[in-house]
Amino acid sequence: MRANVWSGRNTVQVENVPDPKILNDRDAIVKISSTAICGSDLHLYDGYIPTMRKGDILGHEFMGEIVETGRGVSNLSVGDRVVVPFPIACGNCWACRHELYSVCENSNPNAGIAEKFFGHPTAGIFGYSHITGGYAGGQAEYARVPYADVGPIKIEDDLTDEQVLFLSDIFPTGFMGAELCEITGGEVIAVFGAGPVGQFAIASAIMLGAERVIAIDQYDYRLQMALNRAGATDAINFAEDPDVVEQLKELTGGRGPDAVIDAVGMEAAHGHGALHAVERVKQATRSESDRGHALRDAILACRPAGIVSVMGVYGGLMDKFPTGAFMNKGLTHKSGQCHVQRYTKRLYEHIRNGDIDPSFVVTHRLGLDNAPDGFETFKHKQDECVKVVLKP
Amino acid sequence: MGRKAAVTVNRPPDEVRQLWSSSGHRPQYIDDAEAAVTFKPAPGDRGTEIHVDLAESAPGGKLRGAVQKLTGSEPLAKVKDGLRQFKQHVETGEVPRSEGTPEGESLERKLKQRPAQPLSESEREKVGV
Repeated sequence: MRANVWSGRNTVQVENVPDPKILNDRDAIVKISSTAICGSDLHLYDGYIPTMRKGDILGHEFMGEIVETGRGVSNLSVGDRVVVPFPIACGNCWACRHELYSVCENSNPNAGIAEKFFGHPTAGIFGYSHITGGYAGGQAEYARVPYADVGPIKIEDDLTDEQVLFLSDIFPTGFMGAELCEITGGEVIAVFGAGPVGQFAIASAIMLGAERVIAIDQYDYRLQMALNRAGATDAINFAEDPDVVEQLKELTGGRGPDAVIDAVGMEAAHGHGALHAVERVKQATRSESDRGHALRDAILACRPAGIVSVMGVYGGLMDKFPTGAFMNKGLTHKSGQCHVQRYTKRLYEHIRNGDIDPSFVVTHRLGLDNAPDGFETFKHKQDECVKVVLKP
Repeated sequence: MGRKAAVTVNRPPDEVRQLWSSSGHRPQYIDDAEAAVTFKPAPGDRGTEIHVDLAESAPGGKLRGAVQKLTGSEPLAKVKDGLRQFKQHVETGEVPRSEGTPEGESLERKLKQRPAQPLSESEREKVGV
């Protein structure tokens, strides 16, 4: 089959590889109809996530049709149309029983490697380095889905691929980012980053009852999408004025947002030239893995006793974490890879009800063979790119 | 160097103890090492803690002889692999396999991962899947 593989920093290529086969009873094989490039794939592309190997198939946002099931999979049949959550979760361990699927205790066969980096292993993830298991990803014609009796959600109506594909990751991820903010009505939420996850965090915060949602980004076209499509009430472009903390104060009568969502992660850009330059050098020389401008600003901007919700992906260590602000303001820090399986049914219902049409983020549609162009366009934000969908 | 390893299995102690000594589940390496193994109920609803102490393995036990010489591997790491595989097998009914680690968690694979892409037929035969 054809598959998009990582072959070094800033290089992916579409190659012929063997077709996947069932390896365990609870596996299924999916013939992929649509697959997407995630912002977190850019961290792999840019070479900031360790334990990548040449030949790794990328991709953790995919859907398609079941073409084969293992003996242990009774809830799915050949021909079923499914969306596959990006974390691989067994459904049996203590974490899964508590709906904490992204920290499944069993699905990562490289637990020993993960322990070295994170203290504990976390769940396996499709196409996302060998710390998260070394699983082949879904930017391909077919994928093997382990624990297929737990993850995939059946799509049983005539919604298009683009309307349901993002149940695999970015819609639940944005939603969880908003849910962690403990919105009860009337809050002001600031969302750092108006990429795909940021867009869904904004839309979700509004759905959950926030009164105002402030989008922060350096690209006007993304802020326009946040305002016009996701439902943001205000926007801050830090390319125009880098003092985000001060602007957030102004917009909130000096209080600061009740909660802030980091939808940026480890490769934050920033208007403050000097600190950004220092961090670029540190990251390039691998003396710091995570550039933390967005998270620092989020902590400094958040109102005292507020919540900092981190959904952007970090991979290792960052310098100058503002511990003083964090402690003295009494902030609550919440984060995690999304427990996608916890949200799929609920969010599928929202899509079916017409509460949201997630396809609004799609700006680019390409054939799988053009995946390398898709990565370049997305990375450099060319052609007002927000989200790239690939068709095998 | 640490000589102890532990894992918590999401099942009651009686069941874990029984499975530990059953032919289908017994972790071969830990068994061969003749290490001290203890089972404790975990707090709350968390199942059973299994503690392995290599320092208390029988003097002249097979571990210090043949097994270690043959593999040349770090014994504690292999004990940890065995504990994880036991947990995986008991809790999920199978040992998860990725394309990078098709045999399931193993010290050898941690050092030499396959690329994360499907195995060819001959590779699958070699791995036995």
